[in-house]
Amino acid sequence: MERRPRSFYVLAAFFALFVLFLYGPILTIGILSFQGPQGGLTFPMNGVSLHWFRDLFQEQAVGDIWGAFRRSFALGLMVMATTVVVSVMAGLAFRKRFAGSALLFYAAITSLVIPSILISLGVGLIFNQLGLKIHWATSGFGSQLTWTLPFGLLIMFAVFNRFDKSYEEAARDQGATSWQTIRFVVLPIIAPSLIGVALFGFTLSYDEFARTLLTAGSYNTLPLEIFGMTTNVTTPVIYALGTLTTLFSFAIIAACLLGVWILGKRRARLGSDAGKGV
Amino acid sequence: MAILAKPKVGYSRRSLLKAGGAAIAASTLPAPMLWAQDTKDIVLRQFGTGVSNLNDVANKVKEDLGFTLEMTALDSDSVTQRAATQPDSFDIADIEYWICKKVWPTGNLQAMDVSRIANYDKIVGIFKDGKLTPDSEIAQGTAPHTVGFIPEPGATTFADEQTNWMTLIPTIYNADTLGIRPDLIGRPIESWAELLNPEFQGKASILDISSIGIMDMAMVCEAMGEIQYGDKGNMTREEIDATMAIFTEAKQNGQFRAFWKTFDESVNLMASGEVVIQSMWSPAITAVKSRGIPCVYQPLKEGYRSWGGGIGLSQSLSGMELDAAYEYINWYLSGWVGGYVMRQGYYSAVPETSKEFMSENEWGYWFEGKEATDVITSPTGDELAQAGEVRDGGSFEERMGSVACWNAVMDENQYMVRKWNEFIAA
Amino acid sequence: MRLKNRHVLGWLEASPLALVLLLFLVAPIVMIVIVSFWGATEFSIYPAFQFDNYEFLFGSPVTYRVFLATLKYAFITWALTLAIGFTVAYFLAFHVRSLTMQIALFLVCTIPFWTSNIIRMISWIPFLGRNGIANQTLISWGVIDEPLEWLLYSDFAVILAFVHLYTLFMVVPIFNTMMRIDKSLLEAARDNGASGLQTLVHVILPLTKPGIMIGTIFVVTLVMGDFITVRFMSGSQRANVGRLISNDIGLLQYPSAAATAVVLLCTVLIVIAILLRFVNIRKEL
Repeated sequence: MERRPRSFYVLAAFFALFVLFLYGPILTIGILSFQGPQGGLTFPMNGVSLHWFRDLFQEQAVGDIWGAFRRSFALGLMVMATTVVVSVMAGLAFRKRFAGSALLFYAAITSLVIPSILISLGVGLIFNQLGLKIHWATSGFGSQLTWTLPFGLLIMFAVFNRFDKSYEEAARDQGATSWQTIRFVVLPIIAPSLIGVALFGFTLSYDEFARTLLTAGSYNTLPLEIFGMTTNVTTPVIYALGTLTTLFSFAIIAACLLGVWILGKRRARLGSDAGKGV
Repeated sequence: MAILAKPKVGYSRRSLLKAGGAAIAASTLPAPMLWAQDTKDIVLRQFGTGVSNLNDVANKVKEDLGFTLEMTALDSDSVTQRAATQPDSFDIADIEYWICKKVWPTGNLQAMDVSRIANYDKIVGIFKDGKLTPDSEIAQGTAPHTVGFIPEPGATTFADEQTNWMTLIPTIYNADTLGIRPDLIGRPIESWAELLNPEFQGKASILDISSIGIMDMAMVCEAMGEIQYGDKGNMTREEIDATMAIFTEAKQNGQFRAFWKTFDESVNLMASGEVVIQSMWSPAITAVKSRGIPCVYQPLKEGYRSWGGGIGLSQSLSGMELDAAYEYINWYLSGWVGGYVMRQGYYSAVPETSKEFMSENEWGYWFEGKEATDVITSPTGDELAQAGEVRDGGSFEERMGSVACWNAVMDENQYMVRKWNEFIAA
Repeated sequence: MRLKNRHVLGWLEASPLALVLLLFLVAPIVMIVIVSFWGATEFSIYPAFQFDNYEFLFGSPVTYRVFLATLKYAFITWALTLAIGFTVAYFLAFHVRSLTMQIALFLVCTIPFWTSNIIRMISWIPFLGRNGIANQTLISWGVIDEPLEWLLYSDFAVILAFVHLYTLFMVVPIFNTMMRIDKSLLEAARDNGASGLQTLVHVILPLTKPGIMIGTIFVVTLVMGDFITVRFMSGSQRANVGRLISNDIGLLQYPSAAATAVVLLCTVLIVIAILLRFVNIRKEL
């Protein structure tokens, strides 16, 4: 074993500091969410209790956290499903290098880099001028897609850049139709990456704030509710909410990792099933 | 006990919310139904500032009147926006009188028939002829009575005197002043001018709501002797420029720690010690005190800046929902809510009825400015004052009697708003 | 025939994406451009064709200051995230030896990214406040006597939050490109007598440029379009263009907000167009 150079230890220390920097504040509010019933938003701790978590499950003076959570969850699933389907289709399309694909590609990039508040403002204005009602499931849904789809598309590019075309050619040589090729060859191979797209789609939507701000209508999504709480709540209940949503995000990631792991296991057991379905 | 009982209420309210959409659709069908059954299905959507959009009120409405009140709390600017641009998104608007001045001309609200308001005669004079007592002088700014009536249903201009058609039913109001942390300041504060005193550099704050903030600014500039306003409630462009110049300079010198937009932010700023003197609203003081942190709603020699809120009805309300809304308004003025908000430090528009819902000690402390005879608690049960303490500023007449100006919308409002935006960005 | 088929099929498969972008990207931009010429009353907007909004925008010295501040935030954040992101990615890619360990450490870095931005932002406040942990710790160590005022509600706090929120957008693409560098190149460099530093500067850095560019695009656009971090972390004491827009929206001055938005969009697109000249995103993923 080669001896580690000195730079390794310097860099390792830097990395450790970076991780501390990333997690420190989250730990702070994690700790503060266990404040005693008389505790405030800042240190010192005024006793230790689960008071604020209990409080979270009761009605707040203003607002409706759990309604917001349900809406965000539903919206996240809607965005996730749409993102997966639309990105895969678009990913397949871009492999064909159809006329105008460059234009569409730059539109997608614009969608990614455009300041979010512009989408919010523009969509809000359009709905307003057309006399349509803004609602999280219509205008909010569409606005969030402008954020998740480019990510999905970029992941699909990454996937197809590494995709070995010989599998498809083999399938075609054996007489598979193009639909059969996609259904039984391409999709099974890229399935693990689709979990990644789904994870991106869900969490980007679940945390999305700026594009939903002016497009959600009367009912808040969770980030909007949290935003409202930062200005309407003076107790550590907001930290309890933060801790819970963070744990929830972790649970989602863990579920996805588990999914990838199971898929990998199955694949290892069965060997590559690409092409076998034909 | 309360812990066990509360979620149930929350749950039933939410499940009713879900049924709410269907209920609205159903009740527009001409199918004859029993009144009692309908009341249960009626959903009124109310929105307003966090000040009075309390879930406690919605729960009490459900209990007393049987129908569902859906509450949405927003900041003042969003409230104005929704009232002006999304008339279909609400049934009841809980807004301030200066917002009414902006919104009424859009025709999104309908006037209320005074003859259907049971307690109209008991509403305090401020909201009717503008006078607290017959010999009071009316303060500058958008005084509630100037935008409280219209000559006839459908009119988009305001009437000069009381008519049978009211724009807003007054709900709560107060006289505002600066809040201070006496423990961190350690000397008496007597004038609005102290807000810009360099002694408090980096420890002052002002609210970022243009129509209210500009009035606080005007109080300060006038108190400093820097500007003599013709009418603070209706400034000229030059006066606006001069006011903004003084505050922009202060801002650039680091006078302000932060600006706040909702009153809870002001609570956090004050309670954490980031700020020791700032514009503040009464329940914010209450909230800081309830944590055992000393905080005074300091009466100042130049007088108070006052505001009033009221509820208005959406133009689209009709039939049974409209009847329910009138029922709600009459209930609102009948005392329970009044008692609730008075214990937060606001005033009720119909003090007489609220008295029945307060203990003698509470009434004496909050309204009459007497020494508390026992512990004073907030509606949520936090201790606010001990026996022997007196309310900052004294009695209702003393406080509302020394109002120097009302929150205002000026003729040059749009110019002011742009200048305000510049000030915030400067 | 087959050629035509390819285009038709391509468009069919791309049509959902195209439709979403048309409705929720192109149409809103067009709408914003149109509305930027409209007029506003206190509570409504009316169609018109006037240049008032642009005149006011370009006529106010505050505008220039705010645009400058926005670029300043973007530049400082970019420099810091690049330095930190590159170092972290370099450590992960070249100093951690086992692949499992690399992936594990990489995940450790990415997990906070999946939680709410607003929560992550406000979690700094109890840390940095006048009586916050940082000040109390420093005072108890005897480093300072008086609490440091500039920790919270200042440019420092704003940039700290930006770096905290967005460094990851730099780490991921840089790490991605570094992992694709052929290790034999590094050995070749070393065999030819290049020092560690020389290898870094002459081999790794040029090969990592595409990743750096992608990270730069993310960080710069996120910072330039932000309006909420600046509000929270500066206590409304500082401003960037996003806040100018959101203030206008709050005050119902949509046409004025739209005019500012148009100028911001142009600025962002110009910056991105310049950056894209250095990198072919599709190839580098």
